Amino acid sequence: MSDPNTNGPAPLDIRPVKKKIWQRVSLVWLVPIFALAISLWAAWQNYRDRGTLITISFENAAGITAGETSIRYRDVIIGEVEDVEFSDGLTDVLVHARIDQTVAPFLDDDAQFWVVRPDVSVRGISGLDTILSGVYIEGNWDTEADVAQTQFIGLEQPIRTRANQRGTTVTLRADDGGSISAGAPVLHKGIEVGYLEQPQLSLNGSQVVVTAFIESPYDRRITSSTRFWDTSGFSVSFGTGGVSLNVSSLASIIEGGVEFDTVVSGGQPIQDGATFNIYDNEEAARDSLFTDPNAEVLRVAVLFEQSVSGLAVGSEVRFQGIRIGEVSDLNAIVVGQGSNADVRLQAVLSVEPSRLGMGSDATVEEAFSLLSDFVTRGLRARMVTGNILAGTLFVELVEVEDALPAIMNLTSGDYPVIPTTDSEISDVAATAEGLLSRINALPVEELMDGAIDLMDSIERLANDDSTRNAPAALVSLLDESRALIASEDLQAIPNDLRTVINDINGLVAEASETGIITNLDAAIATAAQAATNIEQATQNLPQITADIQALTTRANQLELEALVASATETLNAIDAFIGTDDAIAFPAEANAALISLRSFLDEVREGGAIENVNDALASASQAASAVEDAVSTLPALSARANDLVTQITTVVNSYGERSRFSAETLATLRDIQEASDAISSLARTIERNPNSLLIGR
Amino acid sequence: MTARNAGLVACQQCGQVHPLHTRICKRCEGRLVSRDTQSLQKVWAWLIAGMIAYIPANIYPMLLTSTLVERSESTIIGGVVELFDHGSYGIAFIVFAASVMIPVGKFVAIMYLAISVQRHSGENQHERHVAYEVVEFIGRWSMIDVFVVAILSALVQLDTIATVNPGIAAVSFALSVIFTMLSAQAFDSRLIWDADRTNQQ
Repeated sequence: MSDPNTNGPAPLDIRPVKKKIWQRVSLVWLVPIFALAISLWAAWQNYRDRGTLITISFENAAGITAGETSIRYRDVIIGEVEDVEFSDGLTDVLVHARIDQTVAPFLDDDAQFWVVRPDVSVRGISGLDTILSGVYIEGNWDTEADVAQTQFIGLEQPIRTRANQRGTTVTLRADDGGSISAGAPVLHKGIEVGYLEQPQLSLNGSQVVVTAFIESPYDRRITSSTRFWDTSGFSVSFGTGGVSLNVSSLASIIEGGVEFDTVVSGGQPIQDGATFNIYDNEEAARDSLFTDPNAEVLRVAVLFEQSVSGLAVGSEVRFQGIRIGEVSDLNAIVVGQGSNADVRLQAVLSVEPSRLGMGSDATVEEAFSLLSDFVTRGLRARMVTGNILAGTLFVELVEVEDALPAIMNLTSGDYPVIPTTDSEISDVAATAEGLLSRINALPVEELMDGAIDLMDSIERLANDDSTRNAPAALVSLLDESRALIASEDLQAIPNDLRTVINDINGLVAEASETGIITNLDAAIATAAQAATNIEQATQNLPQITADIQALTTRANQLELEALVASATETLNAIDAFIGTDDAIAFPAEANAALISLRSFLDEVREGGAIENVNDALASASQAASAVEDAVSTLPALSARANDLVTQITTVVNSYGERSRFSAETLATLRDIQEASDAISSLARTIERNPNSLLIGR
Repeated sequence: MTARNAGLVACQQCGQVHPLHTRICKRCEGRLVSRDTQSLQKVWAWLIAGMIAYIPANIYPMLLTSTLVERSESTIIGGVVELFDHGSYGIAFIVFAASVMIPVGKFVAIMYLAISVQRHSGENQHERHVAYEVVEFIGRWSMIDVFVVAILSALVQLDTIATVNPGIAAVSFALSVIFTMLSAQAFDSRLIWDADRTNQQ
């Protein structure tokens, strides 16, 4: 700006010291460097963890989506599907997936992959989470790294047995695969210890083979003497042991299942993959334990004459109640020749010698000779009803004491024949029918009707007001009868009667003592007097007897016996209305009344009226007898009096009619005659019915 | 004629003019620098950091959406495409503008400014200054994406039914925006005019 040559020194060339690079560079540069470092590190980390690309081929890739479907191992996500494409020629679906680096080395040739989809079965629902999240691919391989592979073929069906699962795999053979299905449980003593894989036909097609996996530690229960049997569904069997219903778990009802048990010890440990048979049921399985298929059996025949309906192949053969074999064949054979030919039913028995108590090393010949000895001593075969409901039969070998001698021919025919004896077959149908008809014959309906009627009557009676009032009425009736019996009039009657009878007695005694025959007038007068007295007495008698009769009538009306009976009935019926107040009060009243009644009756019986009456009646009887005696003389007396009158009439007639004397005499005589007539009448009456004097009738 | 030529320095915060070598503003106590010699270094450093951060912001998912049915991850571009597929063109455009156009535009604008200053270019000084103003003004709006993600993440937390979580990209994008803003902040706009002056001399 100014001229350097004019004034002053030349301006200095002042240059600032150049700053060192770390002084010129801003610290802010650390930020992008740091950011770049982090980014590179993240990128490298990402690349390093990218995983191994594997390819799985499936026939069907339903639900597999690139970028979403995960690969899992024991339910842990270890990778993801990256791409889904077709193989050459569209034969397969190729699924490309990335697997974690840590897992990839284990993917060797035993690795298996399958697609997990929702599965609904009787054993429950599995794979439910895949409904929402979509399917995933599950892998399975062991924990030993081998030569890693990247190409795999996926399974169409999920496998159940994991490679690292501890347990034992056994192969089971069954004749029929209808009751076993994949996933069905393997049970041991009722708990689930394993499961079945997919059943398959054996190579020759004759059997169904299924692999069963038994989890550890239960697999230790399996030895060479273990038996498997089918527990699917439920079974109802009518065996000789009765009705038996076996039901297993609900799942096994639908899905089937297999159970095993080791009943006898001593079996050898098994290797993985050992083969077992599946028996139809537990019984067969257990029986098979005792049946060595290689052991020799005796085959003997039994010829039955009657029907063998109820006997079947497999029916038991028992000896003294113990099973020794079974019926192995049933057929009809012709016995005899020509016209003697007859059809018999032949049952072939397979008898195990060991069950007969012979050692396991006994030969068939030894067993036959033993059996032959038995037959000689009376061993016979017969059919016995095993189960009366099912009508099954079994063959029993029994020793019959008085059997006809027989021998077992060991040489002729196909089999040695054991002779038979009468069978013990009970016909359950007839017995049941008889029982039912007897039950039918019971008049159950009439009985019920009668019972219903009775109940109705009792109910009506109990509800009837008059019934409820009966106790009160009875009490009042008893009171009245007590008062009547206690009345003085009634009690006085016997005394009056006795007085009258005494009078009669006196009269009759007087009459008998008086000498009437000697003194006519006196006799007549006395007779008249007597007659008059008797007449008076007899006039009183009807009154007395009427009284007695009235009394008796009233007593009859009382109907004491009926009353007592009624009281008894009433007392019996008291239970029915004990609740009523009357009923509660009644017993006391009735008791008092009855006590009074009884005391009165006692009184009457012991010292009172009855003896008096008896005495009186006895006296009256005596009096009546005396009267009778006396009266018996009356006809003679009257006859004589008639004679007398006739004589006197004759005398008087001689004195002339109409005179005063004669008139008085005639009147007197008529009086006498009337008196004698009266006596005659009385006598006749008494004669006709002496008791009337006593009872007034 | 600039303030520096007149022996003056203006406070960049409050505009108070001081003598050239004054260090502290009398009014606002801000630091007074006539020319920030390290400005371009800072611009470049922040810009590069912002661009580095912008890469994962686009690669990694911005939103992690978990519903009962599915679990999805969406990147910025993926979200835009998805919105576009669903017919939400407006929203797709807004997201695209805020998440892609603006950041990229800022990168380009800042780079252009820095390069032009380094080259002492004297052309289009006014236009460049306007561009700088725009870049500084618009920078804060780039955060709209981050705000959306933050709000969604805070609101949609229904456990297993629906959950929205921010992805790595959200953090990266936020960092990118911050770095870019700092970059713009670090640019000393006076250098635009100095270049002109240098050229004239």
